[in-house]
Amino acid sequence: MIEFINVSKVYGETVALLDVNCYIDASELVFLVGPSGAGKSTFTRLIYREEVPTRGAVVVDGVNVARMRRREVPFLRRKIGVVFQDFKLLPDKTVFENVAFAMLVTGASRREINRRVPEVLEMVGLADKHKAYPHQLSGGEQQRAAVARAIVNEPRILLADEPTGNLDPDTAWGIMELLLEINRLGTTMVIATHAQQIVDALGRRVIALRDGQIVRDQLQGAYHAR
Amino acid sequence: MRANAWGYVFGEALRSLWRNGFMSLASVTTVAICLAVLAIILLVAVNLQYMASFVESQVEVVAFVDGSVDRAATRDLEARIEALPGVREAVFVSREAALERLKEQFGEHRDLLAGLEDPEANPLRDSFEVRLAGAQYAAAVAGELERMDGIEEVMHRQDVVDRLLAITQAVRTGGLVLVALLAAATVFIISNTIRLTVYARRHQVGIMKLVGATDGFIRWPFFLEGLMLGVLGAAVAGAAAWMGYDLVVETLTAAIPFIPILEQQPLLGNLMQLLLVLGAVIGAMGSTVSVRRFLRV
Repeated sequence: MIEFINVSKVYGETVALLDVNCYIDASELVFLVGPSGAGKSTFTRLIYREEVPTRGAVVVDGVNVARMRRREVPFLRRKIGVVFQDFKLLPDKTVFENVAFAMLVTGASRREINRRVPEVLEMVGLADKHKAYPHQLSGGEQQRAAVARAIVNEPRILLADEPTGNLDPDTAWGIMELLLEINRLGTTMVIATHAQQIVDALGRRVIALRDGQIVRDQLQGAYHAR
Repeated sequence: MRANAWGYVFGEALRSLWRNGFMSLASVTTVAICLAVLAIILLVAVNLQYMASFVESQVEVVAFVDGSVDRAATRDLEARIEALPGVREAVFVSREAALERLKEQFGEHRDLLAGLEDPEANPLRDSFEVRLAGAQYAAAVAGELERMDGIEEVMHRQDVVDRLLAITQAVRTGGLVLVALLAAATVFIISNTIRLTVYARRHQVGIMKLVGATDGFIRWPFFLEGLMLGVLGAAVAGAAAWMGYDLVVETLTAAIPFIPILEQQPLLGNLMQLLLVLGAVIGAMGSTVSVRRFLRV
């Protein structure tokens, strides 16, 4: 589903990724770990083509997105959901509108939106908060709304860049369980995280980055090498 | 795009028009001023031209007959005038016919001329309207006529026509330069307003890109906002020009009944269409500039 082939990304003098190779299968769940500045964010940004690699190929669902034309990018993004540490919800829209927004901009009809959005809000556990504005929600609830927005278009891939970074440990677990549930339903998932306890407890595939290079790729991994 | 998406696009454009309050008002005002100036220039220019062609369509040289010449002798006079080189035709206009004509020009104010039918009271003179084979003969023919016996006075209107046409040309050239400058300023101000909108909505735009909105979809609300600013400004300018022209025509025709001035319609209708199109173009240009420079989609 996602393949990095000899990928390097250089910003001016700074090397963010250096000759990265890896393959992530459909429906797989991968934790991306490493110190700040190791290249985790760049790794995810290359997948949804927020960045273009300096060298190498990033193949997503059979297409090298590094050589994709600008006007094809929106259609790639509809196959990929993205969740951030800071949620990125629109403050002047309700939870329902925030989620519906992702469908609206892809040209969905009012009927499709009214059918699908409640379904997704139910799934993330926000059915009773659909009329609330982001500032009326807790951090965990805001992240649930962001997850709902990310999956509302039924993407094949979900990318999460430190999704629990702003949350207390209990709330973080709640979000992580939600992501695991979405992965169980078949969505390929890449989660960049610093949540050592969660990574260690789950024992899933871990790709560790350091100074822009993959230093470890384990199928049943932990946050630190053992 | 589906109706649903258009609803969103229009809604966003209107919302930010409202949110940008002061800047929107400033943009609409500058568009209105720019187009109102254009409207004034156009209205003055078409009327000057109309006046010039009106004057031109009148006789080119008029020769007034001496009061001492009797009607029988005018036949002979007519033949002599027509024999002059450069004269195509000489038409005799009796003082009675001239009065009749004046009454027509006065229209509903014709009663001002009541009582002049009495031959003793009629202040007008017999005359010949001399049509020329070409404008270049005007001076020579006028000179010959002045030397002719039985001709009291010669009026030669080419100078008036020339002056009117020169003024028209000056108004047009000066006006177009002024309008071009104003239009550039207006495009700049609209692009600034749209820039504010782009800034206010940068998070929203980022999210739109993230969830797979096409560039076109992202641009539409900004484009429409500019378009609306332009069209609103044009509507204000058009309404002002409309009312202003009505007032001017009424005042002028009341003061000078036979002044050659163009009727309100279809002139104002056409002007309104032109202003709306120009407003839309200015608005669209302004927003395109900003969307290109600041939206980066």
